[in-house]
Amino acid sequence: MSYTSFGYLFLFLPLVWVLWAVLPRRGRPAVLLAASLLFYWISSGRYLIWMLAAAAVTWLTGLLLGRLDTLSATTRPELSPAGRKTFKKQLTGAKRLAVGGGAAVLLGVFLWLKYWPFAARSIAALLDRMPGALSLTVPSYVLPLGISFVTLMAVGYLVDVYRGSCRPAAHYWQVLSFLCFWPHVVEGPFDRWDSLSGPLLDPPRPSYKNLTFGVQRVVWGLFKKMVIADRANMYVKAVFDDYTQYSGLAVVVGTLLYTLQLYAEFSGCMDIVLGSAECFGIPLAENFRQPFFSRTVGEFWRRWHITLGAWLREYLFQPLILSGPWKSLGKFCRTRLGAAAGRSLPVWAALGVTWVAIGWWHGAGWLYLVYGLYYFFWQLLGEIFEPIFTARIPRLAELRSRRWYRLFQVLRTCLLVLGGMLIFRANGTKAAIAMFRSLTVPYAGSLLIQLDARDLAVLAVGAVLLLAVDLLHEKGIAIRQRLAAAPLVLRWAVYIAGVLAILIFGAYGDNYDPAGFIYAQF
Amino acid sequence: MKALKGPALRIVAFCLALLVCVLLTGNYLMPHSNRYLEGYTAGGILGEDFDTIDVLVLGDSNAAQGIAPMKWYQDWGITGYTYGAAWFSVFNAYYRLKDIYSEQTPRVVVLCTDIVYSKRGSETYFDSAVNNISGELFPLLRYHDNWKELNAENLLQPHDYSWRDPNKGFMPLTGVAGYGGGDYMYDQGRQAIPLLTELYLDRIVRLCEDKGSQLLLITVPAATSWNHSRHNGIQAYADARGLTYIDYNLDPAGMLGLDWATDTPDSGSHLNVLGAIKLTDVLGEYLTQNYDLPDHRGKAGFEHWDDDARTWTDTMDKAIPNAMQAAGLTQ
Repeated sequence: MSYTSFGYLFLFLPLVWVLWAVLPRRGRPAVLLAASLLFYWISSGRYLIWMLAAAAVTWLTGLLLGRLDTLSATTRPELSPAGRKTFKKQLTGAKRLAVGGGAAVLLGVFLWLKYWPFAARSIAALLDRMPGALSLTVPSYVLPLGISFVTLMAVGYLVDVYRGSCRPAAHYWQVLSFLCFWPHVVEGPFDRWDSLSGPLLDPPRPSYKNLTFGVQRVVWGLFKKMVIADRANMYVKAVFDDYTQYSGLAVVVGTLLYTLQLYAEFSGCMDIVLGSAECFGIPLAENFRQPFFSRTVGEFWRRWHITLGAWLREYLFQPLILSGPWKSLGKFCRTRLGAAAGRSLPVWAALGVTWVAIGWWHGAGWLYLVYGLYYFFWQLLGEIFEPIFTARIPRLAELRSRRWYRLFQVLRTCLLVLGGMLIFRANGTKAAIAMFRSLTVPYAGSLLIQLDARDLAVLAVGAVLLLAVDLLHEKGIAIRQRLAAAPLVLRWAVYIAGVLAILIFGAYGDNYDPAGFIYAQF
Repeated sequence: MKALKGPALRIVAFCLALLVCVLLTGNYLMPHSNRYLEGYTAGGILGEDFDTIDVLVLGDSNAAQGIAPMKWYQDWGITGYTYGAAWFSVFNAYYRLKDIYSEQTPRVVVLCTDIVYSKRGSETYFDSAVNNISGELFPLLRYHDNWKELNAENLLQPHDYSWRDPNKGFMPLTGVAGYGGGDYMYDQGRQAIPLLTELYLDRIVRLCEDKGSQLLLITVPAATSWNHSRHNGIQAYADARGLTYIDYNLDPAGMLGLDWATDTPDSGSHLNVLGAIKLTDVLGEYLTQNYDLPDHRGKAGFEHWDDDARTWTDTMDKAIPNAMQAAGLTQ
């Protein structure tokens, strides 16, 4: 069930809310769980079994970790001090084994389904080039809905319980409610158990403010998705799928529109899901914070898909930095290359691994590796040249406070992001290279590709509106709060105009070919 | 409870205000002419004089390109109209039939069953049903893109729904691209009719009963979109409700004589004008033999139809030779 379908917006969501609101407080978590299971079943059918199994593994591993923690906390006076130390060590080992085992099962299924076909395809291609009769059958699997999101959330939960930063869930249904909560199961955000379990398992009272604010956010998300993203998709699809026919300005416009499409679509989807959860008084994690006002590539990724970056920082980058091999690497670099290299190289290596993970998380293919390395390259370049520029240009600190310089930094970051978007959307690495090359070839054809001038005008107005809202948010202005304080007539006029804008200018119906949610494939 | 009353009233009031705006905007954005009300020329039925249509054909592109009512008028004086549009659904058919009954009282309603299983590839039957029904209830959803047609001249122009189609909804295709896929009516299974679709089929049956029309189910030959398991599904439905069902894919009377090498423009998806004339002939024979349909030729009140018959003859005089030439049937 798509978040933009009539079934979701006018049947599922209102009916679940009414049922949730009329039931006594104790029954509300059950409504949310039942609704989530129904949503998953409608969207994914028999793959619901995978969801139930993943939740069972997560719950049982969490329970085991909790039990080991309890044992670890007991003083065991019958043991000698040395015996107690050995006992604790054994328990720590058992905890590591438990968390490693649970994570391995969850990640194993995920990696097998998502990456083994790609790995097998690569190996088979290699074998084809080698002499001999070796060959490999390339499997093809259907991925359960939201497997990337659910697996990483489950692993995050296990690691948090292992670290003692949260208590394990006592009941299976609680973990299931957390993992398959319908607003975050398709495209995230990556929520954390400690922040979500409270409102999810003990929901607040139905509130008019939560409901209206939630609906407003859903409507804004629909505007982004249906008016902007789905309209831009037609141009983007034509240019990228038939890239040999286009060059120069057509590719530039195609890349710009893809950037607009992806931002409007992904952030729009987040608005819909966060708004849906807000109706129930459940705050999900924010995934975007005006990314196109970033001054560096690193900052961009701290504002774009925030929860993915946070997850990788917390559960991959930091553990890597603190791991034995990385400490050994630091020591090795320090002794051989000096103190500065000993500090920087291990961090850069961990950064490289994280960027590869970001790239490959987006898709199993060499193109996605290039995508991750593209950003790693720019961030590394920044890390290397930052101290050099600071030392050589004494006025740099002063320049950075100037408005025009900040604007230059923002534009520079946008340009680099556009390059990344071209790679991300291209149909393969070869296509990406060909499209980069075609940028220098003048384009003589019409720029009205699949869209007429009126469509482009709607896109331009939509983009300006998006920018204006982001600008207000960047300045810390809470638009919904301001609107809520406005007179009723004005407020309603704005809401009705918003809904009518979606219904009139939405790219749906016979004349359009709306795309599915892009991040739902990941 | 008291605390909930205020917000609940506000929500209801807002929804009502929104509903009014949506309905008004939808009405405003409806096409200025009935020519563009529906795909092909289906909307032309609104331009016909009241209570002049005796046979109403409802269906999708297979119907629009496969059944030519003016041939019935020419041969037997039967007044018919093919209301066919691409991706037409059973839900569309029900609501459109209701609208048509406000102007026409057809003696026979011919429902082409291709629409029972029709849906876009990416949709589920449920999504398709919800989208179709909501599109019918809120015209804005169907006509929202008409804002592009607005300009300074027509901004305040009233709707004019008096346009008439001399072909009576038929869209003659003259291309030829044969179907060579062999027999497609062999599957002995039975494809169930989706639940909501069946519900709306029942509503069509009841509506026809209430208005005194006789309902006839037919399937227009379509080699690539029809099969025997769908036939069985419709046959079971017709048997359960005591309806007559003729599947021309099976050519039950052996009179159709369709040649898939020459009678299709798109390798078996639709019929071209050669196939359409054959189908129209056998269906016309069946209608005249089984229903009481008056001959309106030359009668007062049907002068338009006599004019349209001449236009139709001119159209066919060009279309049929073109199709025959494309099929290699003439020098």
